[in-house]
Amino acid sequence: MIRMRRVTKIYKGNIYALEDVTIDIEKGEFVFLVGPSGSGKSTFIKLLIKEEEPTSGQIYIADNNIGELRKWKVPYLRRKIGCVFQDFRLLPHKTVFQNVAFAMEVTGKSRHLIEQQVPEVLKLVGLGHKLDAFPDELSGGEQQRVSIARAFINRPPILLADEPTGNVDPSLATGIVKLLEKINSVGTTVIMATHDKEIVNTFRKRVIALENGRVIRDQDRGVYGYE
Amino acid sequence: MNRLLYVLEETLSSLRKNVILAVAAVAVVAVSLGILGLVVLGVNVLSNTIKNSESKVGEINIYLKDEVTETERVEMQRVIESMPEVNKEKIAYKSKADALNEFKSQHPDNPELWELLEENPLPASFVVVTLDPAKVGEVANRLGEDPAFQGKYERIKTASPVIEKLENVYEKFRYVGFLVVIVLAVVSILLVSVTIQVAIFARRREIAVMKLVGATNWFIRWPFLTEGMLEGLAGAFIAILTVFVVKVWLWNPLKESLAFLRMTMSESLLWVLVPVIILGGIIIGAFGSFVALRRFLEV
Repeated sequence: MIRMRRVTKIYKGNIYALEDVTIDIEKGEFVFLVGPSGSGKSTFIKLLIKEEEPTSGQIYIADNNIGELRKWKVPYLRRKIGCVFQDFRLLPHKTVFQNVAFAMEVTGKSRHLIEQQVPEVLKLVGLGHKLDAFPDELSGGEQQRVSIARAFINRPPILLADEPTGNVDPSLATGIVKLLEKINSVGTTVIMATHDKEIVNTFRKRVIALENGRVIRDQDRGVYGYE
Repeated sequence: MNRLLYVLEETLSSLRKNVILAVAAVAVVAVSLGILGLVVLGVNVLSNTIKNSESKVGEINIYLKDEVTETERVEMQRVIESMPEVNKEKIAYKSKADALNEFKSQHPDNPELWELLEENPLPASFVVVTLDPAKVGEVANRLGEDPAFQGKYERIKTASPVIEKLENVYEKFRYVGFLVVIVLAVVSILLVSVTIQVAIFARRREIAVMKLVGATNWFIRWPFLTEGMLEGLAGAFIAILTVFVVKVWLWNPLKESLAFLRMTMSESLLWVLVPVIILGGIIIGAFGSFVALRRFLEV
């Protein structure tokens, strides 16, 4: 599903964010991307949605070299990749329903389809009763569930989560990852960047560990491994 | 249909949010297009007035002394006819009696003017029309220096200095007018662009989310483009209204009270002006948004 070949990303000022990364992630996998802050996790995710371009190397998604993708086609790439962030990125003046519906509106889905699918997906993430609430009326955990619903509403084959539990109460963090696991179980490839040791050690998935932009460990059913 | 509704909703809600700036942009668009309309009409009036007078421009009046004899007069006419610049079909001789009759018919309400006269004070004259109005001065000079005319005329009169002045004013009016319009158009493009920049800034979070979930660039751009075009269009309508108000309330009475100037406006021009102003408004609006999108919306 995702292939990186000798990918290096150097930011201005000769800062190596990623160095010589080669990795394969198969369809339907669940991957923890771990490492201390500044190890290159966020860059890894930005490269996949073409928010940044690699300095060298190739990235393939579903066998397409995204480096050769025309600029106007980038939105269509992003429709195939759901994204969840630490800061939720919800629109404060829109309700829960409208926030999720927004992702369907901007990709030109019909009102009928929106009315039908948004409540379904919000039920899936456990917020079926809060359709008309505004984001600031929700807890961090609930807001992150809305953002996951928005990322998943168009059924993308890939879901990227950048520190999704970072702003969530630790007691609710497990619930968020369980939700991602549920989404993974229907065939979605999930990549979750995190430095939450407890979660990585509890769920026992494939772990890709980054340090100073290099892959230092790639292990099935791995543990966090840093102290 | 959904798309259209979406674009309209977004456009209107954005306009509501920054009313003051939008009003300013609309006003400047209206002023620049209104001035464009008035300049075009002004140019038209001036050029018509000049054309009306140019039918007289080619005219030279040679007023003869009373003692000129019949043979001298025939010789003079021969000289005039021999000049290639002169329109031979329009050479006319007005005797003293003709001149008096013309004077009487021009002032029928004041019979005392001529009843008091003991003798006819008006001179006989030749009226000569040149083929090219620009040659009037030259022809008049040559006639004045010709031996057949020496000492036999009171004066030679041409209308050209007045016309030259008028043409001068016309040229200046045209250049200054269109320069002002261009400057104002640039200013209105910039102002529309500022309102769109503010609109983009106000919606930066939404735009970020849109990009995230895969909205196409044009999907993001359209509401801003229509916002700019709507501002331009609103300005255009105000400009058209202004032009018509000026035409009906200012021009029509002015024309009547200054009827002797023989000023005319080509009425059909108004109906050409309407679509031109509307198009101008849309172009200014679209261009303004385009500038803002170019600079502040990296999609």
